[in-house]
Amino acid sequence: METAEARLARAREALAGVQRRVGTTRDRWEAPTLPLAPVLDQVLPQGLRRGQVVSVVGSTSLMLALASAASEAGSWTAAVGMPALGVVAAARRGLDLARVALMPHPGAQAAAVAGACVDGMDVVLMGPRLALSEADRRRLASRARERGSVIVAEGPWTGAHVSLTAVGSRWHGLGAGDGRLRGHELVVRVEERRGGLARMVTLPIEADAPLRRGTPVLAPVRSLGGAA
Amino acid sequence: MSVVTVVRRAVLWVPDWPAVAAMTEAGLGADAPAAVLHGRGLVAVSAAARAAGVRRGSTRRLAQRVCPEIAILPYDEGRDSRLFEAVAAAAEQAVSGVEISRPGLMIVPADGASRFHGSEEALAEALVSAVAEHAGVECAVGAADGLLAAVLAARSSELVPSGASRDYLAPAPVGSLALAAMERVQREEVERLTSVLTRLGIATLGDLAALPFGDVLARFGPVGVWAHRLASGEDLAPPVLRRSEEDIAVEHVFEDPAERIEQLVHVAKEAATALDRALLDAGVRCGRVRITARTEKGQELERVWRTDVGTRAGAFARHMTDRVRWQLEGWLSGTAGVADGGKGPEPSPLVSLGLVAEDVVPLGAEQSYLWGGVSGADSRAHRALERVQGLLGLEGVLAVAEQGGRSPRDRALMAPWGQEAPPARAIAHPWPGRIPDPPPATVPPVARPALVLDAGGSPVTISRRLAISAPPTWVRLEADASDERARAANRHPSEGHVGRLVGPVWDRPRPVESWAGPWPVSERWWSEDASRRAYVQVALRDGEDAVTAVLLAYGGGEWALEAVYD
Repeated sequence: METAEARLARAREALAGVQRRVGTTRDRWEAPTLPLAPVLDQVLPQGLRRGQVVSVVGSTSLMLALASAASEAGSWTAAVGMPALGVVAAARRGLDLARVALMPHPGAQAAAVAGACVDGMDVVLMGPRLALSEADRRRLASRARERGSVIVAEGPWTGAHVSLTAVGSRWHGLGAGDGRLRGHELVVRVEERRGGLARMVTLPIEADAPLRRGTPVLAPVRSLGGAA
Repeated sequence: MSVVTVVRRAVLWVPDWPAVAAMTEAGLGADAPAAVLHGRGLVAVSAAARAAGVRRGSTRRLAQRVCPEIAILPYDEGRDSRLFEAVAAAAEQAVSGVEISRPGLMIVPADGASRFHGSEEALAEALVSAVAEHAGVECAVGAADGLLAAVLAARSSELVPSGASRDYLAPAPVGSLALAAMERVQREEVERLTSVLTRLGIATLGDLAALPFGDVLARFGPVGVWAHRLASGEDLAPPVLRRSEEDIAVEHVFEDPAERIEQLVHVAKEAATALDRALLDAGVRCGRVRITARTEKGQELERVWRTDVGTRAGAFARHMTDRVRWQLEGWLSGTAGVADGGKGPEPSPLVSLGLVAEDVVPLGAEQSYLWGGVSGADSRAHRALERVQGLLGLEGVLAVAEQGGRSPRDRALMAPWGQEAPPARAIAHPWPGRIPDPPPATVPPVARPALVLDAGGSPVTISRRLAISAPPTWVRLEADASDERARAANRHPSEGHVGRLVGPVWDRPRPVESWAGPWPVSERWWSEDASRRAYVQVALRDGEDAVTAVLLAYGGGEWALEAVYD
C-alpha cells in the first residue's frame, strides 16, 4: 500500500517532467543551445536556445547573424516568405548555402509550410508578411519548443522569448560622393520575455571599420524603465 | 629498372579530335575548314583548315585572315568526351575492352586482340573500319611496346616490332613526351620539362634515356622520372580497361502526344516504379536521375535531378514520381527553365519520356560524406523540404548559391530544390566594377523605383560622362503598400478621395546623410539585354540616430532601388 507522501512525490515528479518538456520551467543547463556568432554575445548572453522564438525588427543582417554560426556548424536554415533575402550577404555572414532553402512565396499555405520547416529545419527565418494568425503563431512556437528548432521572425511576434529591435544604426565609410560603405553599427534594444528591463546593446555588425577597430563592444548603455 | 611489365598496346588515335567533335555537333562536313577556339588560341584545327595554312595556337584573327571561310567553334571538354563515347563503342565492335586515355586517344591491349584477329595488321584494319563504319570518323592505329612508343606509332600508322620500342623512340624529339600526357596540368608540367631539356642540349628521347636514372630523379623530380621511363620505352601502369555496361534506363512512348498533366501522372508513376525495379534488379542505386522527353516538334528536353533516397525502402519510386511529374508539368506549361535564367522551351505536347539512372553505385557501397554519413538532421531536413515542395510545387522551394556578377541580384543563383543547375557565371572571374563588400542583406527580386532629388527638389541626373547634376539631397522610396497615409498624401486633390493610384506610392522624402558614387557598370553591350547603369550608395537619415543605407542605380533616366543594407 502506497503512502500519500509517495504518491505525492510521484505526482510532483511527473508534473516536473511535463513542465520541463513543455518549457514552463526550464533551467539554464537543461536547454540545449545552438552555436551563436561571437558578435552577438552581448545580445543573447545565454546563447541561442533551441525552442526559442526570436523576433527581430528592422534588420535583416541581424537575422542572418543569428543563424550564421549554427549554419556553419551543420544546422539547416529555411527562409520562409523572404523573397528579398540577400544570398551573398548570407554567405558572407557564414551561412552554408548548401543547407539553406528559400520558400519565397508560401502564400495561403504559410502555416503549413512554416510548420513543416519548424519540424525539419534547425533555424527558420520568417518574413514579415506571412499569412499567419495569432493561433498559428502560438502553434508554431509550441511546435518549435517541442522539436527544438529556433524561429527567427521578422516583425513583432506576441510571446517571443527575445525581441530584438534595431533602434539606431550608423554607417561608416561614406563621404560626399566618395568612399564606400564599410562599417555598420547597430543599436539593438533587447527585450526578454522574462528578462525584466530592456537593454540597449551597440553591435558592430559589419566589422570592416578601420576607425573602430580595437574599440570594445559597448556594454549595455542604459536600461529603459519598465519590463518588456 | 622496370616497375610494370611492358604491355604491347595498340593505340587508336583520331586526329584533331576536338575539331572533329565540334564539327560533328555543329553539323559540318568533315572536309569543311573549322577550328576550335579556347581562350585566345586555337586548340584544334581540321584537316581542311590546316591545308589552308591555319595552325594550332594561332589567334582567331590570324586564322580568319589565312582562311576567311573557316568556322570557329567553341571549346567544350564535355562535348569532346561525350562524343568520343560513340567512337569507343564503335571500337568495341572489334575488340573487347578499351581504355580511353583522353578524348581522341584510346588504348587497346594488343596481345589478345591481335591473336583473335590473326595479326596486328588485321587488328588495325578491323579497328579502323569499325570506327569508320559505326562512328563515321577517320582514325589511325599503331602498335608498339610501351605507352609512348604506341602513341607515336599511331600518329604515323606504324606497327613497331616487339622489343624495338627503345630504338624507335630514340630519334624522336623530347617534345613528343607531351603526347603521352593525358591531362592539361600534366601536359603543362611536361612542356616545362621539355623546354628545360632542350635548353640543356637534350634534344631527343634517346639522349634522355641515356641519362642515369638517379640523376634525372635528383634534378627533375617525379616529372623527370615519368619522362625517363617513357623515353626508355617502359610503361607506367597497365591499361585500365573500361567495361561496357548497359544504361539503367526506362523509356516510355506515349500512344497519343500528351498535352495535359492528367495524362502524365500515371505515366510518371509507372516510369518511376519501373526504374526503381530495374535498379533493384541490378543491385545498384543511383545518385542522379536524368529525365528526358521528346516533344511533338522533335525537341529534346532534358533535366538532371539529384536523389539520395535510394536507400530508403520504397521511397525512391514515390520521390521520383513527384519529380517526374513536376518536370513534365514544367515542360508542358513552358515554365521550366525560367527560374534559372534560361528561356523555357516552347510548350508542346510530349511524345516520349525517358529516365536514366546516373552515378550508379552497387547497393551497400554508397560513398559517405567526407565528415561521416548522412546525419539524422540532414535526412529530416530533406524530408521537410520534400514535403514543402509537395505543398507549394516545384518552384516553391529554392536552393541558393553564389555566382559571379556585378550587382547583388546577379550574384545570387536560385534553382528549384533538388534540381541540378550549374552557375551561369564563375565567381572566380574578376568582375571589374562589382559593387564592393559588404553585400546588402535585402535585395528585392526586381528593382523598385526611387526618386533622387537635389537640394532644390528637382531630380538628380547622371550624364553619359558620369557627371552628376547635383549632389543628392533627398531620396524618396516606395511606401509600404498598406500605408494609407502615404497613399493619401500621393493623391492629388483634383482626383478626389476615390479611385486607384497610378504609379508608385512615394514615401516621405528622407535626407541624404552621405553618399558615394557614381560607379558605372556597362554590361553585355553586345547583346539585347545590355544594361548601362551607374550605382550610388546612399546613407539616408531616418530618425535621430537611425541611418539606412541603400544601393541605388541610375539608368535610362530613372532611379531604382537595387538593395537595402539593413
